[in-house]
Amino acid sequence: MNFAALKTKTVVWFAALIVVVNGFFPAVWILFTSLKTENELLQFPITYIPRDPTLVNYYQAFTEKPLHLFLLNSVIVAGSSTIITVIVSALAAYALTRLRMPRRNLLMGLLMAVAMFPLISLIVPLFQVMRELGLLNTYLSLILPYTVLSLPVCTLVMASFFQDISPDLEAAAMVDGCTRVQALFKIILPLAAPGVFTAAILAFVNAWDEFLLALTFLSRESMRTISVGITLYQGEFAFPWPLISAALIVAIVPVCILIAIFQERVVGGLTAGGVKG
Amino acid sequence: MKPSKDLSERALGWLLLSPVALLLAIVVIYPVGQLIYSSFFTIRLTEPWLGTPFVGLENYLKAWEDERFWGALMNTLLFIVVTVPGSLAVGLGLAMLANMPFKRKWPVRLALLLPWALPLVFAGLIFRWFFDNKLGFFNDILVRIGIEPQPWLTDPVLAKIAICFTIIWKSSSFMALVLLAGLQAIPKSLYEAAEVDGASKWLQFKEITIPMLMPAIFVALIFRTITAIQTFDIPYAMTGGGPGEATETLAMYIHKTTLDFLDFGYGSALAAIMFIVSIIATSGYLKYTQRSAGRD
Repeated sequence: MNFAALKTKTVVWFAALIVVVNGFFPAVWILFTSLKTENELLQFPITYIPRDPTLVNYYQAFTEKPLHLFLLNSVIVAGSSTIITVIVSALAAYALTRLRMPRRNLLMGLLMAVAMFPLISLIVPLFQVMRELGLLNTYLSLILPYTVLSLPVCTLVMASFFQDISPDLEAAAMVDGCTRVQALFKIILPLAAPGVFTAAILAFVNAWDEFLLALTFLSRESMRTISVGITLYQGEFAFPWPLISAALIVAIVPVCILIAIFQERVVGGLTAGGVKG
Repeated sequence: MKPSKDLSERALGWLLLSPVALLLAIVVIYPVGQLIYSSFFTIRLTEPWLGTPFVGLENYLKAWEDERFWGALMNTLLFIVVTVPGSLAVGLGLAMLANMPFKRKWPVRLALLLPWALPLVFAGLIFRWFFDNKLGFFNDILVRIGIEPQPWLTDPVLAKIAICFTIIWKSSSFMALVLLAGLQAIPKSLYEAAEVDGASKWLQFKEITIPMLMPAIFVALIFRTITAIQTFDIPYAMTGGGPGEATETLAMYIHKTTLDFLDFGYGSALAAIMFIVSIIATSGYLKYTQRSAGRD
């Protein structure tokens, strides 16, 4: 009996260990590298835990390139596109789940299909559109496509939350003299707040992570977002790994904190989009 | 219900959908039109004296004879064929491990979320460092167990393996999260009943877990395939498409053709081809959602 319990416990611990190492190892490796000096890095055989940890790489990461600007640009672009996506997809999800629309399943499917077209294949015409509109090297050139990037998942997440709210509440509000739009903002949205919030986190992470469009549309160094900015530390042949690692850690930390605090919401949102989709 | 009220509800519905429609028109539908249109013209910004003559299907015929295009297409297909089942297998493994009865759930959950939240290009950079010929982690392990270090990113075959490995690591955690939700939705009573009937663990896995997971697996596969068609960031960060063009994907070649070679006509034709590949994948998804909507 005791032996069986011990065996189960060992198996469970082992399972946890595999998953945790798989997920955290690269980040830990980068963290350790960021604390090493260039000298220690070039030693062979390689060291794992830094011998005399230093923060000089973090200082250099900010002085060598405008890392603070990269972060700021990403916050502006990801923040604005998140707000727009959430509003736009909340309205769409409301219309498609709570109003009697003709053929709403088809509409939903169509919306998903169009929004899921690979933006990469549209990079050429989008580049031309942005150039004609004079939007190259402006935040708007990324905010617009990023909004579309997160549209499918946000609409799905919010639709699944809206569906769970009883129609009676809305009917009651309307009997009390609310219009339908007032009911949406006063009754439905507050009740679906967790869904709105989840959708917002997903949209933010999507925008924070995007690379190809950011590489193409914002070519001025001071306008670069963080995902592209990180790649600017490498020279043609030189790879200053401790420096890159320090910049990576700075770039990863904000999103890590966000998902660590709201992990249950994020998982719920991802799987609502995935399983119900 | 009075018809007049029904109509106003419908009008409100269209009104609420109009911002989405407007966004999709600017970012997707107009560019798609522009893409198809441009693909029938010669538009080379490096040779402006050519003008922009209509050339019919010439750009598409050029692709047919372009070995670099075929190489990029084959690499993309290779990455799809290897990493879609690969990340499903690894993701399923991770999901089964994460489904164990842990006292504290957050370390495991965070460990699955972290690779998902990490930007693709960061994953590429970090694994480039892991696969470094001299100072990388993988070669260090090889040396320690007495095997010759390998030129991971400079050998055409090894570079493909290294990229597939990285893509699978990066994408399997999202797969695991979706499958984990599927696993947790399977009623425990099914397993208890099978246990009573004396079914082995393997039989339970084959006859209960897999069939019950099928919807989740299908959705995860479609999402993964659509992402795999667009593979860009990880090879870009790890090898830049090299050595030579051994790991160049379709997305990378399109990017090069248009933004480095400034050949917008040919780039549009290539993008249109990629677009057709994606439509085939998305229509599979659409068919599935229609079917499941009908079933509900």
